[in-house]
Amino acid sequence: MENPTTTAPEPALAPPALEVNVRATKSRRSAFAWYFQRISGLLLVLFTIGHFFMVHWTEMSGHDFNRSVDRLSDPMFQFLYLGFIVLGMYHGVQGMWNILRDYKLPRGLYIGALVVLIGAALFFTYLGFDTVLSVHNWKLN
Amino acid sequence: MAYQQSQAPVGTWSRIMLAYKRHAGSWAWMLHRVSGVALTVYLFVHILALRGLTQGMQAFNDEMATFTQPVFKVAEWGLFAFVIFHSMNGIRIATVDLGNGSRYHKFTLRIVYFIGITLMLFMAVLIFMDPFADKH
Repeated sequence: MENPTTTAPEPALAPPALEVNVRATKSRRSAFAWYFQRISGLLLVLFTIGHFFMVHWTEMSGHDFNRSVDRLSDPMFQFLYLGFIVLGMYHGVQGMWNILRDYKLPRGLYIGALVVLIGAALFFTYLGFDTVLSVHNWKLN
Repeated sequence: MAYQQSQAPVGTWSRIMLAYKRHAGSWAWMLHRVSGVALTVYLFVHILALRGLTQGMQAFNDEMATFTQPVFKVAEWGLFAFVIFHSMNGIRIATVDLGNGSRYHKFTLRIVYFIGITLMLFMAVLIFMDPFADKH
């Protein structure tokens, strides 16, 4: 006998409940965060593939000091890497914030963890920007 | 939405975590979180390591020489695993959320595992056997 689950027609999706729509309008910020998490993730995949090939398999490849100076002296690379840092930090912080929210920590612990997370992200973003933008001041010996 | 504090005692988190059913999607969900946290921490460490560039050629090249030690090669392979899984599973999540991917999510997860393991083996050859050593 044929398996009935393979032949049964697919049920039509129920229309969204009114309650869902009302809640959706109240959480535009969350909706944007949800949507932009996908968009930033897809952009980061492209960035990462480009970064991987550029560092390993192109004319500009190399991990030594001189190659790094050559690459980061180029305004286009500076722009790309600063964008990479910002998007990566946004995506990482937003993702870890989601994890924190899921576990419904005690309020003090939640706020404390959030402060540490955002503080660390801002600090390392500053450090990354300062490293990239100070390329002309790096000691050349 | 306002933050709502859990009424459950702290000790139950691990029990809730362990109570999740281990279906394919649950494993993908957990691995995505673990790899996401690891990659965020790696981004911090990566920025910190490149700070050595500001200290000059000798300091930076010495630092880079440290990263060629075998233990860092293994770590690099692990990093590649996290990047590959998180990237491909992220694309899978986007197909579920922004398209019709929920109908095929188990199939796409199998593709993620298959391509991921294949790329891991390929990368193991590149990292540990270095067949292009004479090119760089």
